[in-house]
Amino acid sequence: MASRWWRWRHGCSWRPEARSLGPGCPGRAGPSGPRAAAAAAAAAAADVTRAQVSYFNLVKSLTSAFPIMYSISRFHHTTPAACCCSKTRSGERYTDPFKLGWRDLKGLYEDIRKELFISTTELKEMSEYYFDGKGKAFRPIIVVLMARACNIHHNNSRDMQASQRAIALIAEMIHTASLVHDDIIDDASSRRGKHTVNKIWGEKKAVLAGDLILSAASMALARIGNTTVISILTQVIEDLVRGEFLQLGSKENENERFAHYLEKTFKKTASLIANSCKAVSVLGCPDPVVHDIAYQYGKNVGIAFQLIDDVLDFTSCSDQMGKPTSADLKLGLATGPVLFACQQFPEMNAMIMRRFSLPGDVDRARQYVLQSDGVQQTTYLAQRYSHEAVREISKLRPSPEREALIQLSEIVLTRDK
Amino acid sequence: MSLRQLLLRLPGYFGASAPPRRLWWSPSLDTIFSVVSWRGQSSRSPAHWNQVVSEAEKIVGYPTSFMSLRCLLSDELSNIAMQVRKLVGTQHPLLTTARGLVHDSQNNLQLRGLVVLLISKAAGPSSVDASCQNYDMVSGIYSCQRSLAEITELIHTALLVHRGIVNLNELQSSDGPLKDMQFGNKIAILSGDFLLANACNGLALLQNTKVVELLASALMDLVQGVYHENSTSAKENRITDDIGISTWKEQTFLSHGALLAKSCQAAMELAKHDAEVQDMAFQYGKHMAMSHKINSDLQPFIKEKTSDSLTFNLNSAPVVLHQEFLGRDLWIKQIGEAQEKGRLDYAKLMCFSCYKGQSGHTGTSEHILNGKFYLYINLEFAQSTFARNNQSWQRCDFSY
Repeated sequence: MASRWWRWRHGCSWRPEARSLGPGCPGRAGPSGPRAAAAAAAAAAADVTRAQVSYFNLVKSLTSAFPIMYSISRFHHTTPAACCCSKTRSGERYTDPFKLGWRDLKGLYEDIRKELFISTTELKEMSEYYFDGKGKAFRPIIVVLMARACNIHHNNSRDMQASQRAIALIAEMIHTASLVHDDIIDDASSRRGKHTVNKIWGEKKAVLAGDLILSAASMALARIGNTTVISILTQVIEDLVRGEFLQLGSKENENERFAHYLEKTFKKTASLIANSCKAVSVLGCPDPVVHDIAYQYGKNVGIAFQLIDDVLDFTSCSDQMGKPTSADLKLGLATGPVLFACQQFPEMNAMIMRRFSLPGDVDRARQYVLQSDGVQQTTYLAQRYSHEAVREISKLRPSPEREALIQLSEIVLTRDK
Repeated sequence: MSLRQLLLRLPGYFGASAPPRRLWWSPSLDTIFSVVSWRGQSSRSPAHWNQVVSEAEKIVGYPTSFMSLRCLLSDELSNIAMQVRKLVGTQHPLLTTARGLVHDSQNNLQLRGLVVLLISKAAGPSSVDASCQNYDMVSGIYSCQRSLAEITELIHTALLVHRGIVNLNELQSSDGPLKDMQFGNKIAILSGDFLLANACNGLALLQNTKVVELLASALMDLVQGVYHENSTSAKENRITDDIGISTWKEQTFLSHGALLAKSCQAAMELAKHDAEVQDMAFQYGKHMAMSHKINSDLQPFIKEKTSDSLTFNLNSAPVVLHQEFLGRDLWIKQIGEAQEKGRLDYAKLMCFSCYKGQSGHTGTSEHILNGKFYLYINLEFAQSTFARNNQSWQRCDFSY
């Protein structure tokens, strides 16, 4: 443990000139560079939360799966994911994954609104507020693509079951319900470029809108009539709450802090994607191996997605995101870029511990992060999760949907909003 | 005390917790009252109520735990407890809710869970399912029905907690610092969500999609009911909506009846009883809950002291009936008379709504009669439903 910790520290004291050493440089002892830093960080995380080994196990396989070091700047993008999937693509031409996914999602928001049969007009208006068709619908797209990929893998079936499409709806509904509650918890005032529900109608009503969407999602889930699927998606609801609790507390130990961060990221974001992917695979194919592939793909894409989200909180401007940036710092949260930056600037420790509560803390922390390699290292970590997702999904039989999912895991890395 | 007696007595208890103080009973009402009190064996003091509850708990084997042990021992709950402690000294309503759950025996009755257990026991195992009796059954109640009782309480408590969220832009200076209120909201949402997540988890473990759907729709009803209650109490100083008693019934069913009704039905579904028995259980739960609500609405009118204006609610059953009886215009006129400097004088309004001797407001007591009447109709229904149930469940052992 101690040596690993040292390696992390060592790795994190990485300087830009280390890049020129290049991959596999002969005579180089021990892991170094940003990849090692990220790997060691994740490995340290694995040590701490051995109980949740499953989330972090991938670290070992990652290290062996991607022995080549890539340029990690997200600004001139020659992503390793691109190199990786060119190997697996088998020359097939693929279309935009969003277009491919939308073919099965026509009328998504109308159908969701139909699930919310509510008599009171104001309550209905509040519950439908985010189902305006302006969201990315990232989760439903992954779900329908995964459904088709699994169906083709199982018996070359070109159909998608109605119940699988229902999972896409339910995933989006659970996601939205959690957004409504999160916005009250964080006292957020804008999302997706418009005011939040709590700012327009007040907290008292907004919390009920969230509960209502959740109950509608549970009803839709029950109507699918599959107890396994119910259990899988119930796990998500539990994870979302536990993730929120993890966010409430903080760890003093720096090692634990990283594990804590990754666990929170899994529970708050990746669990929904992972479990809804698993649910459609259960509906489409009886093979448990496929269920695990779907789950692992969703989990890795989900974590990568959130890591990039945390990066964008530092690098993007608020117009692009539709929500204010540096939001995490203002909430007192230390995300990936901050935790990495803290390795280079130990003076940030105190700020993390007091949750950036003193005046000027937020701005100073932001400057530290931008000066450090925190953004690059977090992006690198996200790339590793994305690779792992590609590696998992590549185990399925080739199909346009499988290629779209591979492409989607790259898009996650390059998105700017 | 037999189980049958108890189920009959539970709704009967709501007939009145204080003896009627005026002789304004019509003979027919009197008869109904005596029927009910005969059935309920009269004597309705709070001590008696506690006795009824403790009898009920003995019958179901062990009382409904507020939350299961695994839930109590979880990290999250100790986290919540720690966070709630930070709220001490602030004005956030979550504190009152939390205190009520721990200390106040009135709110901590877990009545819903208890009723679900009682009706489960009364129904017993179904004849259809006699072949596969490998469920574990304690004191005549399946373990899945016990989980269901717990889930019912979890959902009820979650909404109770979520109801106590405050609107941050409407805070008064007397509410204390904004930061405290923000923090209180945060903890209230998290703890409510935590309870709901536990409920969902418990539901998933029941492995019955129909039960999941029933309870999810009960949650949906409850949310709509609470929403409506919140929006009417928010404008307490304004004149009430022009709702008739039928609308009132619909809304009260959502906010008070749906959860118990659907939980009772789900308990029957878990024991594989047929649709007819399920419907009876639904009706019993519904009318039981409605009686409970009407009884608490009546309290300000039948208590000796009427100074307690806080409990007076313009949307309570007696007022709605009174308004329907008077007609909209007269009622608005009465409210106008009770208004002083833009503020409602509740005591005065109470006088209008509540008949006092020969003051000449003819018919103002009528709503109380109506309210009572409606209550007894509900009680009668609940009891006759149970009686019918009882006939079809004669083979159940009531020898407790």
